[in-house]
Amino acid sequence: MADEDYDDIDMGYEDEPPEPEIEEGAEEDVDNNKNEDITGEPLEVDDKEDEQPVERPRKTSKYMTKYERARILGTRALQISMNAPVMVELEGETDPLEIAMKELRERKIPFTIRRYLPDGSFEDWGVDELIVEDSWKRQVGGGN
Amino acid sequence: MFFHIVLERNMQLHPRYFGRNLRDNLVSKLMKDVEGTCSGRHGFVVAVTGIENIGKGLIRDGTGFVTFPVKYQCVVFRPFKGEILEAVVTMVNKMGFFAEAGPVQIFVSNHLIPDDMEFQSGDMPNYTTSDGSVKIQKDSEVRLKIMGTRVDATEIFCIGTIKDDFLGVINDPATA
Repeated sequence: MADEDYDDIDMGYEDEPPEPEIEEGAEEDVDNNKNEDITGEPLEVDDKEDEQPVERPRKTSKYMTKYERARILGTRALQISMNAPVMVELEGETDPLEIAMKELRERKIPFTIRRYLPDGSFEDWGVDELIVEDSWKRQVGGGN
Repeated sequence: MFFHIVLERNMQLHPRYFGRNLRDNLVSKLMKDVEGTCSGRHGFVVAVTGIENIGKGLIRDGTGFVTFPVKYQCVVFRPFKGEILEAVVTMVNKMGFFAEAGPVQIFVSNHLIPDDMEFQSGDMPNYTTSDGSVKIQKDSEVRLKIMGTRVDATEIFCIGTIKDDFLGVINDPATA
């Protein structure tokens, strides 16, 4: 008896009309895959270029984001403050952050940025490959 | 028994060791860290003989340290049950004696010493046969068979026997 009751309930549930699908808002976000900005968490890898993890053509921006810049400068300044060998000629600078900025300007920071994409894959970009702009949109990197 | 195997370890390297000697610094730190340690699974690491490969480093946030996965070849020593070993006696008492084979401590209980050997106390305690021809005391070299092993995370301890054919003293410093 109980089984029949149970079946009944089950059937009733199955016969219920399906929930109406929510339609508003579905189209709103669609064009966000055109977004050029990289928000994947950057992760520095020390310089050793052996094998390419992702298929050859990389699709993320060739500009260093301000977040990447901040993290690289911070990490590099920390390392310099801990006696890491400095990769540039110094002209009297003593502040580790200043030295890190100088290294970044001369593209001598021995890091690789690992950009994770939302699907879990990643792209590796050397710091020397990326175009660095400062916060006022002036280009600071490069050989000038 | 000795094995030559490949092990892997994640090494944390301080920023002050970066630069052109990074690899050498990493290898010497690996040797310092790993040689002489004991793991229950592989036994004692006797020596690092070579580096297979050093992977890409990963920068640790907040500390500036870099972690490298290092694959290295090493010689490990792991005692097994039933294995015959030669060992040096380090301590003798009425319960039996302790011997060392390299890094491993082996205890031989007096139940596992031949019945004709008797314990003699004194300032040089020893086990002697009734006719006095064979004597086990500190610094004697004995050949023994491992009866059992106790494997901890960081230590291996063995129980041995000399109550079998061809086991016992192989070189006695008192008679030599």
